[in-house]
Amino acid sequence: MSISRPNLLSPLAKQKFKRFKQIRRGYWSAIFFLALLFLSCFAELMINNRALIVKYDGEFYFPTYGAVYTGKDFGLDYEYEVNYRQLKQKFEQDITANWVVMPLVPYSEYENDLIEGEYPPYPPSWASQHYLGTDTAGRDVLARLAYGFRIAIWFSLVLLFFNYLIGVTIGCMMGFFGGWFDLLSQRLVEIWSNIPFLYVVMILSSIIIPGFWSLIAIMVIFGWMGMTWYMRTATYKEKEREYVMASRALGASTSRIIFRHILPNSLSIIITFVPFAVAGGIGALTSLDYLGFGLPAPTPSWGELISQGTENMESWWILGSVTASLVTVLVLITFVGEAIRDAFDPKKYTIYE
Amino acid sequence: MPSTRKNTQSMSRNMFKTMSIRAVFTRAVFKKAVSILILLPAIAIAQEQAPQLPQDLVWQTNNQAPTFADPNAKTGGTFRTFTLSFPLTLRTVGPNSNSSFRGYILGNQFGLVGMHPETEDIIPELATHWAYDKDGKTIYYKLDPQARWSDGKPITADDYLFTIEFMRSKHIVAPWYNNHYTKMIKNVVKYDEHTIAIEGATIKPKKDLHYFYGLNPTPKHFYKLDKDFVDNYNWKIVPNTGPYQISKIKKGKLVEFKRKKDWWAKDKRYFKNRYNVDKVRVKVIRDYNVAFKHFEKGEIDTFGLILPTYWHGKATGKLYDNGYIHRAWFYNETPQSSSGMYLNQDDELLKDINVRIGLAHAINVQKTITTVLRNDYERLNSGYIGYGEYTNKNIKAREFDLQKADEYLTKSGWDKRGDDGIRVKSGKRLSLRISYSRKEHNDRLVVIKEEAKKAGIELNLQLFDPASGYKNVLEKKHQIAWMGWSTGFRPAFWEHYHSDNAHKPQTNNITNSDNKDLDAMIMQYRVEVDEQKRIQLAHKIQQFVHDEASYIPTYSVPYTREGYWRWMQLPKHLGTKTSSSLFDIFSSSTGGLFWIDAELKKDTLKAKKKGKKLTPVLIKDTRYKSGAVKVKKDKLEKNKAAAK
Repeated sequence: MSISRPNLLSPLAKQKFKRFKQIRRGYWSAIFFLALLFLSCFAELMINNRALIVKYDGEFYFPTYGAVYTGKDFGLDYEYEVNYRQLKQKFEQDITANWVVMPLVPYSEYENDLIEGEYPPYPPSWASQHYLGTDTAGRDVLARLAYGFRIAIWFSLVLLFFNYLIGVTIGCMMGFFGGWFDLLSQRLVEIWSNIPFLYVVMILSSIIIPGFWSLIAIMVIFGWMGMTWYMRTATYKEKEREYVMASRALGASTSRIIFRHILPNSLSIIITFVPFAVAGGIGALTSLDYLGFGLPAPTPSWGELISQGTENMESWWILGSVTASLVTVLVLITFVGEAIRDAFDPKKYTIYE
Repeated sequence: MPSTRKNTQSMSRNMFKTMSIRAVFTRAVFKKAVSILILLPAIAIAQEQAPQLPQDLVWQTNNQAPTFADPNAKTGGTFRTFTLSFPLTLRTVGPNSNSSFRGYILGNQFGLVGMHPETEDIIPELATHWAYDKDGKTIYYKLDPQARWSDGKPITADDYLFTIEFMRSKHIVAPWYNNHYTKMIKNVVKYDEHTIAIEGATIKPKKDLHYFYGLNPTPKHFYKLDKDFVDNYNWKIVPNTGPYQISKIKKGKLVEFKRKKDWWAKDKRYFKNRYNVDKVRVKVIRDYNVAFKHFEKGEIDTFGLILPTYWHGKATGKLYDNGYIHRAWFYNETPQSSSGMYLNQDDELLKDINVRIGLAHAINVQKTITTVLRNDYERLNSGYIGYGEYTNKNIKAREFDLQKADEYLTKSGWDKRGDDGIRVKSGKRLSLRISYSRKEHNDRLVVIKEEAKKAGIELNLQLFDPASGYKNVLEKKHQIAWMGWSTGFRPAFWEHYHSDNAHKPQTNNITNSDNKDLDAMIMQYRVEVDEQKRIQLAHKIQQFVHDEASYIPTYSVPYTREGYWRWMQLPKHLGTKTSSSLFDIFSSSTGGLFWIDAELKKDTLKAKKKGKKLTPVLIKDTRYKSGAVKVKKDKLEKNKAAAK
């Protein structure tokens, strides 16, 4: 018996992964989604008002990350951050050896690209490189979408981690210890679950100004309960199995039983819920932002874009692009989730009716 | 002790209820928040032995001021408008009486005197003459013997005495009035049927006495004050003094007003050719957008288009291009809310005047206005705009100027910039919080934030919900407060800039201004009776406040915008200097200047049915725009800038 190897890499897990790969829709969705996630980590290289490379007077500059270059650094007359788009134009007009390489979308998520005499939101335009137009403050919609995605997805992942950490721990304890502890915890969880989350967030966000971490804290405090029920049941079930009894007979400690035996065997439950929880996290942040109780302005946010879009229906590009993005991301995640669920299903085929 | 302007909103409503020349000051009163002075015990109403008038009184009247109604106005027709909710009662005091509908009822209750909408002189209403006592707080009025209640009974001195009795009565269940009429009005004296004196609590400049101590009469013959008052008078139509009286009520649906056939003031100098429509029908439409649809169908005659989404968006298209509905953009001159950024001078960074001035030069209000605000708003130059002579027009707001910003910030040691382009001084970044409480202002603030970055200042936006935002500011926990105070009849300085209110919570001195010279000027301003001197003091205080740079003015909306069907007719100059609406129906100051042309109505409806194109009309009247000199009245085929 080679129980020293973690079950994660067991043949069973390998088989599950193989089955997941066979579900093409889910598999490709996962690849696409991970690619998006990866790209979003380097959004600054694709969507930014800072240039990728500037060649000025024989020297190369890489302004994307790091300190701000002022206009004076490139021979201009101002002391605030260089407008690289104008710099590029200037270099091109002057026909010097200097040049600028801009990212694909030459706007940042915060920058107001406002035109005197015309009122935002501006429609999508190839010429101005606002491929999805601008919002009501003249900020590039594509940039806001991309950075908004990055914030939402990381928010959701971090939220998931903490929710599961607490939820799984307490659920496991309930199932494992049982008895009075279980009974008491169940009641507490029931009571805690009945607190209307939205109202609490509204009240709290009027007292403190929510930031990324404080919002996660608030949402974890009121969101960890969901996982406890599943873990409790799973632990109960696993606890009575023969292998647990066997390892106990061999003298294994409680922690060893929980971490080495019960948890790995309940992993399928946890993993099947992950994609849906991610989708839920994105949805929660978006709706809070929509209502104005989420992350403070001017943080790029899908919820804020939806709220702008619904107030300015005639500017179809705002609502159109954010809805399309939201639907795409949520559909991708759902596909992945379905595929994982199927892959972990002991019955090979499931027919949904 | 003057109270602070803590509860501006409810106070303004209450002020609305009480002021005798209320109608005249509708706009001012709406926004009003006055510091209520003194706490002297009430003195019983004196009326036992016939008192004698002082011998040296100089009676004044005003029959010289220009008239402002159009002599060509035609009478007749029904003016159709809407209200968002049906009133819960027709009472104007007591429980549930504070709805928007009471404006319609109070509009028909005239005061003793009014204020001329153009010259701002005192003009007669229910009183023909007035005189001032030497004590500086008592006014005498001669009542107009022709004035009648709507039931035909004459209005006499007893009706004014009754106002005091009524307002101080416990039966009306209105503690605010009980208190106000006990503390503000010391005494009302009847000399004969048509002569009274009102003694106020404190000394005030002459013109202000009318505003603060003038009373409305209350029909003594109509009311029975007992414990059932509140229930008994819920739906009673109270005799009034104005041009219209309620003629029909359909509960939950509509209220109709009818013009009085033989109104006592219809031939008086300032009321002639006004209040021209026979009937006013106020329909209940519970949604603003739905009401707009009613308007476009021609079931409502006029519609307010102040909101940019309406003016630039919804109120455009065929109905307007074909000239069936006209639009007017009318600048007026009324006190402007002091919107802007209030800097907390107790803050570590902001206590340095150079930082404050530098910051002011780094705030690009103009860019906000010309872009996200669609050029609709005006740059505000100081916190005291629209107070007529009391406004110091020489003060200009500090403009966006990076050079000057740099100069002042360098002077205070903020001359280096960090890696992120934000200024640093001994390890600290020049980073400031702006606290605000309206999500709709995000667009404006992000532009300001991005522009300030150029000057090396980081502004962090901190959105509160209104209640906790206000609390945060009153507790002086803010660095920069983005807000505006409501306006009053006269500029108020004590509550905002006197050191008595600095460095402590729950006062309106949110800049924590604390200066002995300023204190002295403010105290002098409060007791100065000579109007010219008082105006000079007001100017000096405003200049001082500007120099102190604790307030960065932003913008104001100094106009009204209306859409109206072609048959709605207005005087040649549309409205008066103080018209807050062009289609004000009842108010004694600026109301009832419009009329309906029945011929044009038939004509317009016929043209609309056939789809015939008429001349489109889009008027922009900038006579009273600050800095404007000449009348600009354009009839345009299509004003692209305004329509788009």
